[in-house]
Amino acid sequence: MTRSILTLLLTVLIASGAQAACFADYKAKQDNPLHLHYGVAQIDGACSADAARAELQPRLAAAGWQLLNVVSVFDDAGLQERKDSAGDFYLRY
Amino acid sequence: MLGISTSAIESRQTGNRVVIAGISAIILILLVAAVVLFANLPDANAFNARVERLFVENNDLTTQAEIKLLEILAGSGTAFSATLDSYRFVIFVLLVFATAMLIAAVAFLVMLVVLNRRMGRIERKGIEVNSLLISREENTVYLNNFEFKLTEAAIETLSVLAEARMDDEVLSGAEIEAVISGRNAVDCDEAAGATRIKRLRDTLGNQMISELLVKNIARRGYMLAIDKDVIRMV
Repeated sequence: MTRSILTLLLTVLIASGAQAACFADYKAKQDNPLHLHYGVAQIDGACSADAARAELQPRLAAAGWQLLNVVSVFDDAGLQERKDSAGDFYLRY
Repeated sequence: MLGISTSAIESRQTGNRVVIAGISAIILILLVAAVVLFANLPDANAFNARVERLFVENNDLTTQAEIKLLEILAGSGTAFSATLDSYRFVIFVLLVFATAMLIAAVAFLVMLVVLNRRMGRIERKGIEVNSLLISREENTVYLNNFEFKLTEAAIETLSVLAEARMDDEVLSGAEIEAVISGRNAVDCDEAAGATRIKRLRDTLGNQMISELLVKNIARRGYMLAIDKDVIRMV
């Protein structure tokens, strides 16, 4: 009984942990003159490319950027390898 | 004489119409060319769109250096497009110049055609009197700057005819004699006026022919004052 409760707790913890750590890398632009950037952002909602797109679009637009596409969604594991590429735009928006 | 000058005016009017039509056609062509020119040259966004597509389509183009390079590429494209803009302006200025030349050429061509037609008519007519100046003191009459010396009586007759022409009148022989002699027209002889006309024609015609056709070269003799190519014997 105790073991099964522990297992349940662990599962819930892992699930909530996975949900909290959802990130997306995306590409955005500014016009006149053309500026491009590749960035990484945390996603609060569902962890899918479509949801990330819907969520990032208004966030970037508020900062004057136009979202071009969402490359992928990933969790903590993929964060470190993208840090260098994203540079200034690592977890900025 | 009157018929000729009327048709000359007509041909000038036709010429004017042709010139106006030609010039408006040229301006229309210029406008179309300008629109095509300004609409068809690529703008800066063509380059930017290409670079953007490149950026989106290649998922591994993510490092900062690569992105910077892409931005520089787009920037140089924009600079090139600014150059194209200045080219476009230069081309347009050249187009305007060329059109002005074209208009001038067409206008001159039409003028030349009209002038040629007129010249041909004048040549066939022989002599067209454009100016008649009578100098009574010197007993001289100037026809198109040809100077003819006349007798006093002949000048008198010519003056009477010139005055009558200015009033659009036709004089009979008796009337001419009446004006010159100062008597009443009913007392004058028709033949007397006719004689005056004949004398005027003789002296004036004689001098005109010697000026225009049969030249007298001093101490050498006589020669026809015309181009030998125009002579034909039938």
